[in-house]
Amino acid sequence: MSAPVIDLRAVTFTYPGSNAGVFDIDLSINSSELVAIIGPSGCGKSTLLRLIAGFLSPSRGAIQIGGEDVLGIPPRKRNLGIVFQNYALFPHMTALENAAYPLKVRGVSSSMRRERARETLELVGLGTVLDRVPAGLSGGQQQRVALARALVFRPRALLLDEPLSALDAALRVEMRDEIRRIQREFNIATLHITHDQQEALSMADRVAVMRQGQIDQIAPPRELYEHPKTREVAAFVGEANLWPATVISSTEIETPIGKIVTDRQTLAIGARVTAMVRPEKIELGASSDGSNTFEGELRRDRFLGSTRRFDMAIAGGEIMGETDASDAIASVHIPRQCVHLLPGGNEEHVENKGDMK
Amino acid sequence: MAWVTAVYLVYLFVPMALLLVGSFGEIWFGTLLPSNFTTRWYLEVINDPSFRRAFRVSLEVAVSTCIICVVIGLPLAYAIYRAASRGIRAAARVVYLLPIAVPPLVLAFGFILVFSTDMLPFLGSVWLLIGGHVILTLPYLLQNLVADMRHLRLMELEVAAESLGGSLRSRLLDIVLPSVRHSLASGTIVVAALSIGEFQLSNLVAGFLSRTYPIVLLQAFYGATGFACAATVILLVLALAASMTGTVSARATYSARSLPT
Repeated sequence: MSAPVIDLRAVTFTYPGSNAGVFDIDLSINSSELVAIIGPSGCGKSTLLRLIAGFLSPSRGAIQIGGEDVLGIPPRKRNLGIVFQNYALFPHMTALENAAYPLKVRGVSSSMRRERARETLELVGLGTVLDRVPAGLSGGQQQRVALARALVFRPRALLLDEPLSALDAALRVEMRDEIRRIQREFNIATLHITHDQQEALSMADRVAVMRQGQIDQIAPPRELYEHPKTREVAAFVGEANLWPATVISSTEIETPIGKIVTDRQTLAIGARVTAMVRPEKIELGASSDGSNTFEGELRRDRFLGSTRRFDMAIAGGEIMGETDASDAIASVHIPRQCVHLLPGGNEEHVENKGDMK
Repeated sequence: MAWVTAVYLVYLFVPMALLLVGSFGEIWFGTLLPSNFTTRWYLEVINDPSFRRAFRVSLEVAVSTCIICVVIGLPLAYAIYRAASRGIRAAARVVYLLPIAVPPLVLAFGFILVFSTDMLPFLGSVWLLIGGHVILTLPYLLQNLVADMRHLRLMELEVAAESLGGSLRSRLLDIVLPSVRHSLASGTIVVAALSIGEFQLSNLVAGFLSRTYPIVLLQAFYGATGFACAATVILLVLALAASMTGTVSARATYSARSLPT
């Protein structure tokens, strides 16, 4: 594989007079790769983008763009296309003039830049309304203008700062596919900052989960979902049942809801762990051998269209499950291969912060 | 609420209407309305050398005030808007409130004290007058500009422009100036209107040859009613023209932002 387009090594930055910032970030984005960064607000993901863009300078560590060390190089010379959260379109310029601005400051002739801006706008799916000012464009159209403006000068990489958060839900889903298509078409290394984990999982080649200024895990979406490295990642990415547990044998753990049989594992007896089970893995009824079966009453039962999510109250806690059956539910079981053990068995309850629907 | 508006409009416009009627009336003495139509009062005002000079001085002062306000106000507003420190913002707020908190009279007395000394013998000069007008009107322009910069999120636009390769020069010329051009225009009109109508400070600071129109106008009220009315109508037209241009450019701002072109 060729050298990464964006390469961060042990990058640390703290805001003056506070403990907030990012710490020891290692991150690389390869050519034509889309990497998403998710995390709760205040986790440092936007700080990371500003560091790469050059609006902030790291106190330690190195940032390379296209193999070149960019410390001390001002933002305007870094040659990165950035789409901002509110698009930051120039209100007094038409869509075409907006898209042509980066070429104007690069000294491209007037006719040439109009031509190229028009081409780029067409590529991002905006063939008409080129002579309208941003106030006369819909949210989706503004989004496309912002994308065209960030791509028209063939930047080395594309940085997207929560680009879909200003759109309504239906358009947001549509624009996910659009951004992915455009990113592939331009074949450009892209960093996508978002707080919407579904957006990240559905669009990115790799997803980084950030928390308190650090990257907890970076992995392809499926791996991240199925094999989270920590309890926090499991809780943040998708929904999960998380129980503090103690290993009592090579195939059994003890949890507040009782003994759970797992696949064979090699953890030390007595090790404190967290057991994770995704709700869609929960099966209705008793298991064939009766193990991992729990009886209880449904405390919440939500119909979500394509699926049904329920919380069952059982002795010692709750089980969150997902099914497409509409029958009454009296018992469920956990298939043993679906129990994942994560390091650490803190008693503290882990909230599901994601907004997966 | 319609009748409140109606009463207010009557209250607002009746004096103006009476001025207009009076300015064309031959004699107005002890009757409800004047008798006989004439244009002689206007001719008299126009041919009066002190009125002509005052009119010219007023225009000169207003135009100079506008120019100085723009030259100082634009960078200052930009600096206030971009200022990160709380201290500068607090200072800016003081400047905003100055013309409301401090009556022009106080400023004028200060001017008299300072500029009648042997060191600074500038009392009575047109430039001092212009300086006073700048102090009184600048806050209105600043307020207009800073509010518009905030409304436009100018900082975000500049950051975007910078990321797209825009140099400082390009950002100022291509982004900042065009973005605020409407509020700059309407703010300038406010400055012009205030300067043309200013009386308190001008009355105390102006020299005999640098009296502005409102000061000379006061003298007119010691003479014939028709003459006074005609002289006032001229000031009224001047002020209305200024504020009307302001309204029009404000509306242009609005439509330029909200309507597709």
